[in-house]
Amino acid sequence: MEVLVPAHRQGAARRVFGKCLNLRGRRGWSLIFGLWLVWAGLGTGEAFGQAVSREYPLKAVFLLNFAHYTRWPTNAFEHPDSPFVIGVYGEDPFGPLLDDVVRDETLDGRKIVVARYRRGEAIGACHILFVGQPETRRLDKVLADLNGRPVLTVRDVGNAPYEGMCVQFLTENNKIRLRISPQALKAADLTMSSKLLRTAELVPADNR
Amino acid sequence: METSGRLASISSGVILGLSAAVAPLTQAEELKPPSSGGDLASADILDRYKKMSLDELMNQEVTSVTKQPEPYGQAPAAIQLITGDQIRRSDASNLPEALRLADNLDVAQKSSSAWAISARGFNPSVGNKLLVLMDGRSIYTPLFSGVIWNMQDYLLEDLERIEVISGPGGTLWGANAVNGVINITSKSAKDTQGMYVEAGGGSPLQDFAGLRYGGLLAPNVYYRVYGMYFDRGSEVFADGSSAQDPWRKGQGGFRIDTAGSGPNQFTLQGDLYGGDFKSVPGGQGTPVASGNIGGGNLLGRWTHSSAEDSSMSLQVYYDRTHLSAPFQSSGAIPAGPLKDDRDTADLDFQYRFPLGERNRLVWGFGYRFMHDQIQAAPIVTFVPERLDQNIFNSFVQDEIRLQEKVFLTLGSKVEHNDYTGFEYEPSVRLQWNATDRQMVWGAVSRAVRTPSRYDRDLMEPSPAYGSFLGTASSTFESEKVIAYELGYRAQLGPKVSGALSAFYNDYDDLRSLSTTPGTFVPLYFANHNAGDSYGFELSSDYQVLDWWRLHGGYDFLRETVHPQAGQTDFSNGLAETADPENQIFLRSSMDLPGRVELDLAVRWIDAIQAADLGATKTSTIPDYAELNVRLSWHATKNLDFTVVGQNLLHDQHAEAGVPGPAQEQITRSFYGKVTWRF
Repeated sequence: MEVLVPAHRQGAARRVFGKCLNLRGRRGWSLIFGLWLVWAGLGTGEAFGQAVSREYPLKAVFLLNFAHYTRWPTNAFEHPDSPFVIGVYGEDPFGPLLDDVVRDETLDGRKIVVARYRRGEAIGACHILFVGQPETRRLDKVLADLNGRPVLTVRDVGNAPYEGMCVQFLTENNKIRLRISPQALKAADLTMSSKLLRTAELVPADNR
Repeated sequence: METSGRLASISSGVILGLSAAVAPLTQAEELKPPSSGGDLASADILDRYKKMSLDELMNQEVTSVTKQPEPYGQAPAAIQLITGDQIRRSDASNLPEALRLADNLDVAQKSSSAWAISARGFNPSVGNKLLVLMDGRSIYTPLFSGVIWNMQDYLLEDLERIEVISGPGGTLWGANAVNGVINITSKSAKDTQGMYVEAGGGSPLQDFAGLRYGGLLAPNVYYRVYGMYFDRGSEVFADGSSAQDPWRKGQGGFRIDTAGSGPNQFTLQGDLYGGDFKSVPGGQGTPVASGNIGGGNLLGRWTHSSAEDSSMSLQVYYDRTHLSAPFQSSGAIPAGPLKDDRDTADLDFQYRFPLGERNRLVWGFGYRFMHDQIQAAPIVTFVPERLDQNIFNSFVQDEIRLQEKVFLTLGSKVEHNDYTGFEYEPSVRLQWNATDRQMVWGAVSRAVRTPSRYDRDLMEPSPAYGSFLGTASSTFESEKVIAYELGYRAQLGPKVSGALSAFYNDYDDLRSLSTTPGTFVPLYFANHNAGDSYGFELSSDYQVLDWWRLHGGYDFLRETVHPQAGQTDFSNGLAETADPENQIFLRSSMDLPGRVELDLAVRWIDAIQAADLGATKTSTIPDYAELNVRLSWHATKNLDFTVVGQNLLHDQHAEAGVPGPAQEQITRSFYGKVTWRF
């Protein structure tokens, strides 16, 4: 009664599962356990490379989303056709990822470009500034440098809220989480869409 | 007698569970920034992420390698975890189908609206030794010990995870967690922000729609509301004719969560549902009848964490269920429905804290009040028809660090119920973290299944027609198990993880259908059977390539049930089990170019020996292999198109029931779905 499946394909299925059918008793156990060990063993070889982390591909795309869900004051751009700049301060964890993400992307007709600032170097005109993990100790200096310019500051990883940074990435249950400070946004004269805000944990005002 | 088998078959549903806001799970894996990201993330992955909404991005796993998150600390138990992402990528259109992702379960579909689900055997018509909890609310019905699965559903998109523990869980979860516990957890409202819409149709799942909206009530207070509906057609009888058992159901609800950084977190959630179904309770060729289900629940939870690694949770819920199940006529006894209306109120408190350097304690207590009102069917009823029941429980468990890598966990639950008085469910577990990536564990546990109203109060037919079954069941006691388990879990290299759990279960006082010496009738339920079972569960995940993941699972089970020396069981121990000896599962998940996902699931289920309650020999349900396929195209940032085919290898196949005019078979099915997020 069973057949929409062509007869030859039924045959194949039967051959595959027919073998399983015979796997009774001790021989069956050991065979299946053996197969599993081989399978398991395959993955332990170095040839298969390292675990794949998607942390920075995800964060790069988040940065692009921040650009789309935030409004900058008009004085943030020198000319009507000035590019939108995503800055990376100090050690850059993205490699070429961020460039790949913003390639061919525009924001209100502006090109989006990536700028990198070496540690200690003056921070040029940018709209988002990403500060990587190794630079955590220099946050004060970075903020002093920006001195209230309309820049969306993004801190890579941190356990405690750090006053003055607009956005902080966290990792929770193997997923990216955001912590956003409305006060810092206000100080930088930025307006963020509620759509982005509601995905985040907000830093309460008394934490400043 | 045949009807009692059938009563069990109304029970093919689901329910909700109590308990244990389980401790936080995944330890975020240590993440190293790639020295050069480019080779790790192909342009395709970036492209995929760029098309995603914010909500989807928030739900992406940072590390793609399988790492079994470990509930309750590094739980030394046979746990399988189904993640929200695995559910999304499965062919499942409802909760029972999603449970096929756990290969330590036996999931057997009995009809369009009925399933039998169990772990480690004892799944004749309804698995009565598996406790199921939905967001901490018990959905295991004390009416007949089991889950009315067609009552239980959720918008699958909003499920966070399903933990399936095979083996006893009585020490933490209490009675009826004899062979396993399923914990279904929905996402925090914080993780379901924005609008989600799904709609589709096919055959026999004719049409369905779901909608959810999540927003912010106040700073750090999130909510969501949802609604869902479906209309599902009939399955078939053995000769291919329609089993005339379509059903439909609507459900809606809400959840509110706080998500601040403070020590106190609150959750408030509730659901309402209703549905109706048709069936042919007398089997092929007899009249069609209708039934319906409905209910609602409201749950609140307060968790308080303090700095010293201690936490407290207090949970209360109220649950109401309504069931109207049709029964056939028999001789002079007319057809008619059995109705049950049940109210449950439950309170559960837990406190975890460290004691000194070596001990981590958790203790708690709970109280449950249940009230139910039966309306008799001519052919079957429960006496008394109205009953109040109280359950008190308290438990304590201590995890002791014996050495750097060796942990001993000791604990017991003490529970008091109105039927059997005090019950004890102690367990001892030993865990050795052989390396960072390998764990060996062993456990000895005792668990009980307390009597349900089915065991104690069932009368067949109703007294008005002269009951010949059940008038002497009032001595039915709890069923008991002592379980011995041994397990091994490992992350074998960056791409492979696996687990092996073996068990030997020694059962005592199992249910029997006993006869009165001399006069034969009345028949009654007693505890005259005993038995044992042994077997193992093997599962493994293999991340073959960045875009391709494989999963394999294999279960082996052998069980024996027989009357105890000097005792009798009308079915000679055959009616309490109906389980495949071997089960094999293979799944493949691929991310293909063009933002296409292809997911395949193959299962092979061994033949089943099944007997109706009161039958004296079993019939064979043949073994079967089936294939489910899901193909999904992520068309834009907000829009997905998905097609699913289930049970593709055969026109129809039987998964449960006893071969005969009442047994249904499950047909090949297809559906398409559009999902929209914004």
